[in-house]
Amino acid sequence: MFTRLIAYKDLFLIFIWREFSIRYKQSIIGILWAVLQPLSMMLLFTFIFTYVMPIRITKCPYALFFYAGLLPWSFFSSSLNYAIPSLTNHYNLVTKIYFPREILPLSGVAVAFIDFLLACGVYVLLLIAFKARICWNILWFVPLFALLLVFTAGVAMVLAALNVYYHDVRLASSFLIQLWFFASPVIYSMDQVSLKLKLILFLNPLTFIIENMRRCVIEGRGVVLWQFLFMTIFVMLFFLLSYKLFLSTEKKFADVI
Amino acid sequence: MMIILERVWKKYYFHQVFHRSLREDIVNFFKKRPKNEMGKGEFWALKDITFRVRKGECVGLYGPNGAGKSTILKLIARVTYPTKGTVTVKGRVAPLIEIGAGFHPDLTGRENIYINGAILGMRIKEIKQKIPQIVEFSELGEFIDMPVKKYSSGMYLKLGFAVAIHSEADIFLIDEILAVGDEAFQKKCLEKIEELKRRSKTILFVTHNRRLMEKIANRTFFLKKGEMTKVVG
Repeated sequence: MFTRLIAYKDLFLIFIWREFSIRYKQSIIGILWAVLQPLSMMLLFTFIFTYVMPIRITKCPYALFFYAGLLPWSFFSSSLNYAIPSLTNHYNLVTKIYFPREILPLSGVAVAFIDFLLACGVYVLLLIAFKARICWNILWFVPLFALLLVFTAGVAMVLAALNVYYHDVRLASSFLIQLWFFASPVIYSMDQVSLKLKLILFLNPLTFIIENMRRCVIEGRGVVLWQFLFMTIFVMLFFLLSYKLFLSTEKKFADVI
Repeated sequence: MMIILERVWKKYYFHQVFHRSLREDIVNFFKKRPKNEMGKGEFWALKDITFRVRKGECVGLYGPNGAGKSTILKLIARVTYPTKGTVTVKGRVAPLIEIGAGFHPDLTGRENIYINGAILGMRIKEIKQKIPQIVEFSELGEFIDMPVKKYSSGMYLKLGFAVAIHSEADIFLIDEILAVGDEAFQKKCLEKIEELKRRSKTILFVTHNRRLMEKIANRTFFLKKGEMTKVVG
């Protein structure tokens, strides 16, 4: 994969730059949109669970708690939103000229990554504002995010490729992403879930990633090493399989798109 | 030899694939049909095509619509693959894609030069160096910094052609794009094609203009219903 992509490194960079600049052309607040999405969701959930349905979810301040979960979640969901239609939107390129097709969905993931970095800036401000106690365990954030990135790239490639064959994927995706949201611990904490339910929820790789990305930053808890290693192996296998599937369908894209 | 097609067959479907059901796909997956068998709604876009093109040659493809000319270009561009037979291509291929394919309407002409150039396999550094030449060839002048959605179709074509012709490819594929554009620009394009020939680049092109074909092609392949009927030159 990497040898294939290195030859097309410049094209990849250009595609990322292109996606990024298209998005914020003719918009007034431009780049702030990237931050606005997780921020507004956070405010909404904080409002709902403080005033509308006051439920005790966690000891942490709700604003911080929700933002910590929404940050990785937004990266995942906006990656998919960019990536799924990426091949079909560029059918005029796919049917005319050769380049490694994975560049299209992966540049969607890369643009979501830029958004994520901006949203991290707000995260830092929130951590300071709420005087969160930070300890060394915060360093787990980086390897956990790396897992999320690889997992997201795999899902993005599979769904983008399937969408070329069955346009149902795009139609189903908003619905699927919504279901996935509630299956991930964004607005709840795994600490309050019964053991039986925990086992089911941990079938979703995002559960492990999002829960731990939050714990290590706002609660200063570490990650269980064997769980992390298990997850790493699982995510790597998943990614390899996804990439294989992508390559085996790629040759027919131009014929069926 | 730059391009070798050996007994190439290409099958296409009449209907779009998503009209097929998932069940049908799964059945087909397990029941491996022999490749030469014709299924319902399938047809051969190319039948047993064999030819070789040498470096520096300029080959014209001529024939009515649906003869398989564009399919041949797509096979050489590695966009699609043969059902049977082999396609061997040596060197970098630059398909002069249709007007504006790959252009984004909201970006300026200059920004689109970068995108189109990169799609054609140019490095960012290379594009930067060539921008003055490309802008000059496109005759767009100050319009180059305007979003391309405000361009006329002629301006679109000029920019697209200008980028493609400046890429350092070894093989150029030209699919009927010379039909548009004013006479003066067409003449300029032809001059550029002659220059590519002098620099011993390989060119394959499709046109319905017989006179043009005879003027620039070393050899002409006549195609009809997916078969090669005649080779001239």
